[in-house]
Amino acid sequence: MSEIRKERLTLIPILAEKHKEKFIGRTALMKYMYFLQTLRDVPLGYNFSLYTYGPFDPDVLSDLDLSVAMKISRSTLEQYPGGYGYKIGAGENANGIKKEKKKFISKYQKDIDWLFEKFGTYSSAELELVSTIVYVDREFSAKKTKDKNDALLESVREIKPHFDKEKIRKFIENLNGNGLLKSKK
Amino acid sequence: MNNQNSQCEIRCPVHGFIAVSDWEKKIIDHPVFQRLRRIRQLAWTDEVYPGAMHTRFEHSLGVMHTATRLYDAIRANSIDVLKNELDYNDAGLDKDRQRVRFAALLHDVGHSPFSHASEDLFPEQNGKKFKHEQYSAEIIQTQLKDVIENYHSNKNLDIKAEDIAALLEGSAGAKRSLFWRELLDGQMDADRMDYLLRDSHHLGVQYGRFDLNRIINTIRAIPGKDGSAPRLGFAESGLHAVEGLVLARYFMFTQVYFHKTRVAYDLHLKEALAAILPKGKFPPPTGEQLEEFLKWDDWKVLGALANGEGGEHGKRLCARNHYRLVYKSPEVLGPQGGVFVNKLRKELGGLLAEEFEAAKSWYKAELADISIVNDLNPEDVRPLSSYSNIVKKMVPNNQIMFYAKRENVDEAKLKIKEVEGNERNSQGTLDFDSNSGRKT
Repeated sequence: MSEIRKERLTLIPILAEKHKEKFIGRTALMKYMYFLQTLRDVPLGYNFSLYTYGPFDPDVLSDLDLSVAMKISRSTLEQYPGGYGYKIGAGENANGIKKEKKKFISKYQKDIDWLFEKFGTYSSAELELVSTIVYVDREFSAKKTKDKNDALLESVREIKPHFDKEKIRKFIENLNGNGLLKSKK
Repeated sequence: MNNQNSQCEIRCPVHGFIAVSDWEKKIIDHPVFQRLRRIRQLAWTDEVYPGAMHTRFEHSLGVMHTATRLYDAIRANSIDVLKNELDYNDAGLDKDRQRVRFAALLHDVGHSPFSHASEDLFPEQNGKKFKHEQYSAEIIQTQLKDVIENYHSNKNLDIKAEDIAALLEGSAGAKRSLFWRELLDGQMDADRMDYLLRDSHHLGVQYGRFDLNRIINTIRAIPGKDGSAPRLGFAESGLHAVEGLVLARYFMFTQVYFHKTRVAYDLHLKEALAAILPKGKFPPPTGEQLEEFLKWDDWKVLGALANGEGGEHGKRLCARNHYRLVYKSPEVLGPQGGVFVNKLRKELGGLLAEEFEAAKSWYKAELADISIVNDLNPEDVRPLSSYSNIVKKMVPNNQIMFYAKRENVDEAKLKIKEVEGNERNSQGTLDFDSNSGRKT
């Protein structure tokens, strides 16, 4: 197994344990990995592309499945008032791989702390929306498009018409206030 | 539902007849699409399964046909979700239907010779290797732009080549059409539905068969919960058809795509191509270089091999003198197993000619998290794994296979036996994980 894949597998239980509930869902895992790679330049080697539900890379789920099979993480299906969802937590072999990847963890611990400080309380729907805003912003930036006349807001709304404009605007302003959007600069 | 100016039907060994409009026919007749007739779907798999001579050309037609059937079924079954959550009207749905057909037809137009087997030789940009989807997107926006946009039916639809590329690549330009991207690149996409059935048909195996009609009959758009985006799922009455597709894919990977000899031919082809290609890489998908890339197809590579190019691996391909499998790890290789494999690799030294790692292959091992809607209570949506114990128990494959040159096989096997013996003496077992490593 490549070192980068081991590092990705190590991150899964770390992210779960960092959450105040000591577990995270699949959407949170996907979006946290996206934020770490995109907003904090943690070298994870994922290739995210955009779906209606935001940035997605099937390799994140492959990593999750492998980490569960190797007992680095555990994943259980739970019933909630709004439906069913996965609870991902640390597995019995988590400490072994964390020990092996001690240097990686300590190098990026501040980024993990930052991630939870900024996004740790967001719901799945909010993570979908915010990660979509960041994804579209990075596309704007790559094409050297500046966000004028609410172009970023309109573009996000065209992808997610079920969100009202004011909600999207609020999250764009929040991200921009934290200096996380490139097309606004 | 009729396609735009439907004019002809193409006979397909899997789907019967595939209806094609005059507009689509012009795209199919374009040289960059015709190139797909010269790219085999499964590379050198015919060395193991002689029937595997089919091409990306017929697969692309099949994906367009399958994606359209899925699209029409979702539109018929879930019109309220499409209207309420994605603001669709009939005109919008007609337009996106044509976009999805084009995207499905053209999704593989950027494949390199012998398909996935040569993708490791794509060049890099900003430290990341190009993917065939990026070649497809660039070809659509350059070579095919005119034939897509300047057709009389397009006056009503106003489809842009960029829209199709954005849908395939997953970019914001696709707007709400991104909802349909799961039909093109998702766990239950038209691509895998077609290749499983088509590969099974041509190879003469049953592993990849599943109930496509039931899948189409039960596919749904599922409303998003608590503000999440809507996504695709299936009615509970289609549960076993969905389960069948997941299992079909698993069987095809273990029995066909990861077949020990088929994998060996992929390894030889990659090395031979590296020796044939200028600087050992394909041209990037940019400007004139893209035109150079499009000159590469199976015929050109076979011609080079017939002329004696391709070095040692080219000779091995021509003489059918492939490397032999001497060791394969458990399908799920845990930490202890990984340590043993590393030890084995070190001990084999020069006897180890090549190795294959399933996790690095084009196979994405993510397990099925497909939404199933309760037939009696549509509010009750659960993942497939909560219904299916078989799917729940499936594990991803990160198997490693070691190969040796034919003349070194006996020596390599002796060495492996020795290392396994030492391991057994020191650890008391070789049964590291869920199943034990097996040597051949």
